[in-house]
Amino acid sequence: MTESAPEAMIRIDRLTKRYGERAVLQDVSFDVAPGEIVSVVGPSGCGKTTLLRSIAGLAPPSEGSVSIAGREVTEPAEGVAVVFQHFGLFPWKTVFGNVAYGLTVAGMRRKDAEPRVRQLISLVGLEGFEKSYPYQLSGGMQQRAGLARALAIEPRVLVMDEPFASLDAQTRDLLQLELLRIWEQRPTAMVFVTHSIDEAVLMGDRIVILSGRPSHVHDIVDVGIGRPRGREVVDSERFRVVRDYLWTVVMSNGAGQSRPGSADEVTRAGDPPSAESAEGPGPI
Amino acid sequence: MSLPAQPPAAAAAGTAARGLRAARARQPRADGEPQHAHSRGQIMAVRVIAGMVILAIWQFGAMAFAPAYIPRPSRTITQIPGVLSDQQFLSGTASTLLAILEGLLIAVVIGTVIGLIMGRLRDVDRALRLYVNSFYAMPIVALVPLLTVWFGYTPNARLAIIVIEATLPIVFNVAEGARSISGSYEDVARTYRAPWWRVWTGVALPASLPYLLGGLDLAIGRALIGAVVAEFIAGLNGIGYYILFNVRSFHQDDAVVAVCVLIAFALVLRALINLAVRRGLPWYRAA
Repeated sequence: MTESAPEAMIRIDRLTKRYGERAVLQDVSFDVAPGEIVSVVGPSGCGKTTLLRSIAGLAPPSEGSVSIAGREVTEPAEGVAVVFQHFGLFPWKTVFGNVAYGLTVAGMRRKDAEPRVRQLISLVGLEGFEKSYPYQLSGGMQQRAGLARALAIEPRVLVMDEPFASLDAQTRDLLQLELLRIWEQRPTAMVFVTHSIDEAVLMGDRIVILSGRPSHVHDIVDVGIGRPRGREVVDSERFRVVRDYLWTVVMSNGAGQSRPGSADEVTRAGDPPSAESAEGPGPI
Repeated sequence: MSLPAQPPAAAAAGTAARGLRAARARQPRADGEPQHAHSRGQIMAVRVIAGMVILAIWQFGAMAFAPAYIPRPSRTITQIPGVLSDQQFLSGTASTLLAILEGLLIAVVIGTVIGLIMGRLRDVDRALRLYVNSFYAMPIVALVPLLTVWFGYTPNARLAIIVIEATLPIVFNVAEGARSISGSYEDVARTYRAPWWRVWTGVALPASLPYLLGGLDLAIGRALIGAVVAEFIAGLNGIGYYILFNVRSFHQDDAVVAVCVLIAFALVLRALINLAVRRGLPWYRAA
């Protein structure tokens, strides 16, 4: 660290979130520095999305607090943009209208917003599709538009909710690298929630591992891979080390939550239910 | 020959929104499945043949089994020029159809506002839903005698019944649409700090539009019923009264021509709405 204790852009302080009686997050604390990418991983259903919603100001904490640039978040804060897993594009708006949304809602006239909107549309590689509607675009192109919409407001904080999870593998790889390229041009504090270990390592400066029920911070891992990053990162020794460590931690946590001897069940989780599994409550 | 122009979806009455969708599914599409890929000409040919068969059954059925005064196509057709150039028919029809358009317009505005409020404010929905449902279930034409007392035997009574008839399905559908808006759209609007009124106009309203159009489809039919019944009961000058008057003065063929004009009006109105949807809301098909 060359800078002396940089002010955190995002500070999550003993965040607890309950829905009714059920706590989803318990005492979660970590900081994100300006220009830092923090990946968040954990088993599915561990409250990753709830964490993001709290940062985005969509779900007020039950206890503890989330602050952005020193200000406690009580409602969606200015300069925070969210990229959603299911894109969240308005089907009744064109690509242009969707990308311009954050600007027009902030009171900018369409005409004034146009240069920046066009610039972002070309930044994400969607030139020529300004007048297309979301239904005319592939999933990858829709998420490019979603990314452009988030970037258009020149956010201080980018909140990524498994943004590439519903894309096919090839598109996902491509968009990861494009996101890295775009981020290099304008480094922004970013919280990147993903269920892909590889993606977490590729994107993050640090990785927050959530585990348990309710979820707490199990560990925070320093990735220790320099930037700019490209495809070659995944072949580096460091990438392998960090990935293997994460796998071990996440897998052991995942197994620890089920019944004893369930490591076998975790590996079979993707199998279709068979007739034999009808003998009592199967793995969830 | 089979009837490939009617996919199974058309048979499913379902909600009006689905009906409208099914209607559009019948349009030839570039990406249509091969078994539906019949040209517009073929579809028209099948329709014309079916129409001729229906007319033939009517014609010969009437000739074989019915008394001479029962209308039949061969006589009705000869009455068309006379009816369509009849000044009384023209002014009556214009008055009825304009009242229907005016009533539909008012109903769309009122119905959308009430529907959005009901769909978005849960307390209002809880308070009003039972009453909207019961109003929707009752035959509104039962109110016509009351309305003729309140509004007199005037076109206002007819307009009132049209508005009531047409508003209910729109309220019903828009409320349904506003209730079922995906939370993710609202999340998006909120993260960009959209003020509440922008969430209503910019998210809730467009997201409910498909439902509004489905409601409008139902509203057209109900508005026609309301208008004609009001004229029957109140004796107002209009196409409904023209039908009643001609039937009672033994001009049944003229009455049938007027009925056909009503049918044509409803079809044209729905076709115009379909056209407007395809031109103005290209995203709607996929939404």
